[in-house]
Amino acid sequence: MEHVKSLLTKVGIDPERLEMFNLSAAMGPRWAEMCNEFTEKIRRLGPSPIWMATCSPKKNIKE
Amino acid sequence: MITGEQKPFEEIWNMVKDFKKVLVFGCNTCVAICHAGGGKEAEILASLLRMRAAEEGAAIEINHAAVERHCEPEFFQPVMENIRTYDLILSTACGVGVNLLSENIGDIPVFPAINTEFFGAVPRAGEFTELCAGCGNCILHLTGGICPIARCSKSLLNGPCGGTNNGNCEVSPDIKCAWVLIYDRMKKLNKLDLMKEINEAKDWSKAQGPRNFKVKVLEEIKK
Ligand code: SF4
Ligand code: SF4
Repeated sequence: MEHVKSLLTKVGIDPERLEMFNLSAAMGPRWAEMCNEFTEKIRRLGPSPIWMATCSPKKNIKE
Repeated sequence: MITGEQKPFEEIWNMVKDFKKVLVFGCNTCVAICHAGGGKEAEILASLLRMRAAEEGAAIEINHAAVERHCEPEFFQPVMENIRTYDLILSTACGVGVNLLSENIGDIPVFPAINTEFFGAVPRAGEFTELCAGCGNCILHLTGGICPIARCSKSLLNGPCGGTNNGNCEVSPDIKCAWVLIYDRMKKLNKLDLMKEINEAKDWSKAQGPRNFKVKVLEEIKK
C-alpha cells in the first residue's frame, strides 16, 4: 500500500485517495460504514487531477 | 545477475513527453528480480505515464509489453514487427538490453528507464550486493574467495589500508572492510602466509571495454 501510495504521489495524486480495508464477509454493516466514510472523504478531496484533465468543464459543473 | 533501479519519474517523463506512441518494454529476467524492469514494473510505469500524460493534456499512446530477455536477439525478434510500430521504445532492461535493441530495431529510438548498477548476488529476497566487478583476471584464489576489487572501497590489491576500523571500512560503518574479511577467511583456511605475499599490479587492460569473446568450441563446430 505504501508503495502504491508513493507511486501516486509521483504523478501528483493525493495518496489519501487510496485506502485498503480488511474485513470479513460477515461484516456487512461495517463494510457499508467504510464505503460511506470513504465516499465522504473522496467528496471532500474533490475531483482528482486526472478527472479534471480528462473531463469537460461542463460536466464538472453538472456534477 | 544484473541489478538496476528505476530512474526518477520526472527524468523518464521528460524523455517520453514529446513522442506520440510509446512502448514501455520490460525484461523478465535480472531486472525483474530486482523489481525495477520486469513486465509488471513496465506495466506500472506505463500506467503512471498515462496518468501524467492525461494531467498534462499530452496526446501520447502508451502501451507496455515484455519479453524474457533483451540481451539475446532471439527473445525480442518475434515481436520486432509489432514494436517497430512505435516511435519510442522506453526499455526497462539493463543497459546491455538497451544497446542491443537499439542496434537491431532500425530508426526507432530506444531510451533507458532504469539505471543499470552492478552484477550482484541476492543474499536475501530484495537485497542485492556487489561481489565481483568482472575485472577479467580473477585473483580469488589468492584472497580467500573474497574480491578486493569489488568489495574494498579502494580496490586495493594489498590491504588493509590504514582506514580499516573495527572490521569496517573508513568510507562507511555500513561497509565491511574487505581486507579484514580476507584476513579472517585466510586464517580459517590456514593460509595466513599468503597475506604476506605482495599481489603485483593487475593487468587492467582486461577490465576495460569494449570486451567480447567467442566460444572456441562453437566456432570450431561452425567451421
Ligand atoms: S578478482 Fe576480478 S574476476 Fe575475480 S571476483 Fe574480483 S572482480 Fe571478479
Ligand atoms: S578500510 Fe578496508 S575496505 Fe576500506 S578502503 Fe581500506 S582496505 Fe579497503
